[in-house]
Amino acid sequence: MTPTKPPAGHAGAIGHEPPAKPAPSDRPGPPPKPVGLLHLGSLQRRLLLAALGLVTVALLVAGLAIGLVLHRFVRTQLDSRLDSQLVALASSLERGPGDRLRLDRALDGPPFDRPRSGWYWQVRQGGRTLRAESLQGESLETRNPRLPDPSALGGSVPGGPGSARPPRDRDPDRPQPGDGTGPWGEALILRIQVLPAQGDTPPALLIATAPAKALNGPLREAGLTLAAILGILGLCLVAGTVLQVRLGLRPLEQLRRDIAEVRAGRRPRIPGPQPAEIRPLVGEVNALLDQNAANLERARTHVANLAHGLKTPLATLTLALSDRTRDPDGRLAELAGAMDRQVRHHLRRARAAALGGATRTRTELAGPLADLRTTFGRLYAEKRLALELDLPAGLAVACDPQDIDEMLGNLIDNACQWSRGRVRVSAAATEAGIAVTVVDDGPGLDAEAAARAVRPGGRLDESVPGHGFGLSITRELAELYGGGLRLTRSDLGGLSARLLLPA
Amino acid sequence: MKLLLVEDDAPLAAEIAKALRAENFALDHAANGEDAQHLGETETYDAVVLDLGLPRRDGLTVLQAWRAAGRTVPVLVLTARDGWSDKVAGFKAGADDFLVKPFRVEELVIRLRALVRRATAHGASRVTCGPLSYESGLGTFERDGLPLKLTGLEWRVLSCLILHKDGVMPRSQLIERVYDGDADVDSNSVEVIITRLRRKIAPARIEGVRGHGYRLLPGDPA
Repeated sequence: MTPTKPPAGHAGAIGHEPPAKPAPSDRPGPPPKPVGLLHLGSLQRRLLLAALGLVTVALLVAGLAIGLVLHRFVRTQLDSRLDSQLVALASSLERGPGDRLRLDRALDGPPFDRPRSGWYWQVRQGGRTLRAESLQGESLETRNPRLPDPSALGGSVPGGPGSARPPRDRDPDRPQPGDGTGPWGEALILRIQVLPAQGDTPPALLIATAPAKALNGPLREAGLTLAAILGILGLCLVAGTVLQVRLGLRPLEQLRRDIAEVRAGRRPRIPGPQPAEIRPLVGEVNALLDQNAANLERARTHVANLAHGLKTPLATLTLALSDRTRDPDGRLAELAGAMDRQVRHHLRRARAAALGGATRTRTELAGPLADLRTTFGRLYAEKRLALELDLPAGLAVACDPQDIDEMLGNLIDNACQWSRGRVRVSAAATEAGIAVTVVDDGPGLDAEAAARAVRPGGRLDESVPGHGFGLSITRELAELYGGGLRLTRSDLGGLSARLLLPA
Repeated sequence: MKLLLVEDDAPLAAEIAKALRAENFALDHAANGEDAQHLGETETYDAVVLDLGLPRRDGLTVLQAWRAAGRTVPVLVLTARDGWSDKVAGFKAGADDFLVKPFRVEELVIRLRALVRRATAHGASRVTCGPLSYESGLGTFERDGLPLKLTGLEWRVLSCLILHKDGVMPRSQLIERVYDGDADVDSNSVEVIITRLRRKIAPARIEGVRGHGYRLLPGDPA
């Protein structure tokens, strides 16, 4: 197998390969533009707007209903006041000498004694009329031409006097309601009663009035209070709704943060107790995560099986081609070598691409490093290398043990290949994380070669058999963990590779 | 020198066997884990080439079983898996060397010779005995600095004797390490080989220890 450079453009193509996984971010993307007022983008807004609408409608309906009840109540009060005046009038009505109408007692008690107050009464019988003092001699008919004429009455009242409203109650014994206008233009509420003719007594028309403001004044006052109360109630309801929506949606916000944590690789799944409404969703998301992980695992296994499956025939081919009669100019062996490099490269990439995710565990460095020392002691037994370890007890990194083996194995292997006898591995906790430094006493690298070595797919020396992609793979892995790899000159004269890993 | 080759892929096993025999190694072949474990526990080998992906019993399990049974034979693990975790697991199970498929024959042979030499407590790659020297990297013998031409069987016998030059090599073990498992062993022929070797390596000499075996000595009888 003659080592060759990889095909032109190979390294470049790998270098420009898009990252297999976007950088994890806690911030959500820009929110989608709202489509309508009730767009799906904001549940909070939907809930608030709906609640606001419902509260407004409910308060309006409640206000109207209470207003109507109040109106009826005040009106009934007024009516009964006027009716008692009418009863008093009817009972004290007597015929004086010469067919003159008169009352057997004074009925101009307050408020019927205040002139132009709107509190009036009037009695007509035959051609004669009695009036309250407050009317000051004016007639109620002046502005209410449609008041019934008692002389024409047959004992019943036709339509409402001031309005076209037909009377609802035709019981002649009971006073009828009505609206009208006073002699000075004031709006009035009327109660009209007709006393039917009895014997030679002609029918009489009794009217008692109250000013409309006696109805509207209290109503307005009550309305203002009612509006204030309803307003405060509305504000309380809206505030309550806001609070409720906030509280109700808080698990969703928490869920978003949990999912972000999962995406950033800090958690493997969405954790623990969730509200009953969200639990199925969380279950589905977790199932999706599991399925994803299983798919990824299957894909990795497929790639690994494919690569490993290729290696055995490739090994056979390589051995068969070492017979010079089968491959005189070495071209076939060269091709087999290129195939091998491709397989190794993509196998490593498949492995690296699947890492750095949810598999972060705390791993003590001492164990893997001791195993690696044994490994390299045997692998480089011929070189009789002194592999020195220098690390504080209990130093741990937040990486998968396999990845630690992979990163440190590549670095130590590179150091061992170039070393003249000494390789030193030291580790220490720094502010940025755990720094593991592998130094050797080999020839070292100049800055340009060092930059080339950690480039994706780059390999330092094609003539050294084995792991050409080691340094760049190590750098990729370290960066997936949020760390990095820096190559400098060591105090032993050779290369110093400083690997930074999360603590 | 005799090896056990454990490899389930027949074409690859055939190629490896061909290449190793061309380098004078005697060879037994096992195609699955059970046979491999049995052979390793009952026969004597100078080294084992062990594939890890085996039918019936996994290579690492076989290796652990040998080590648990006290077998110290040097084992070179042959595998398609080249992650460092796989290698670390291999060495922890007791492997002495590791070779990732595909590999070059030269690489395999050099590593095997080095393994066998180190297993017989020789640190340097050159082992000498009087005028005779064995270069384990190349697998060649020299006498007084001149290359020695040997047949395959002669090479097997002489490499055995020079690597175990500090003691007596039992005859039975010598026979085991010289002939392939399926070869027709004629015990007399060992005597014939020894006789031919004695002529080639003089003044170094091979001393027969009665009822026991042979020993390589640097020069004139004391």
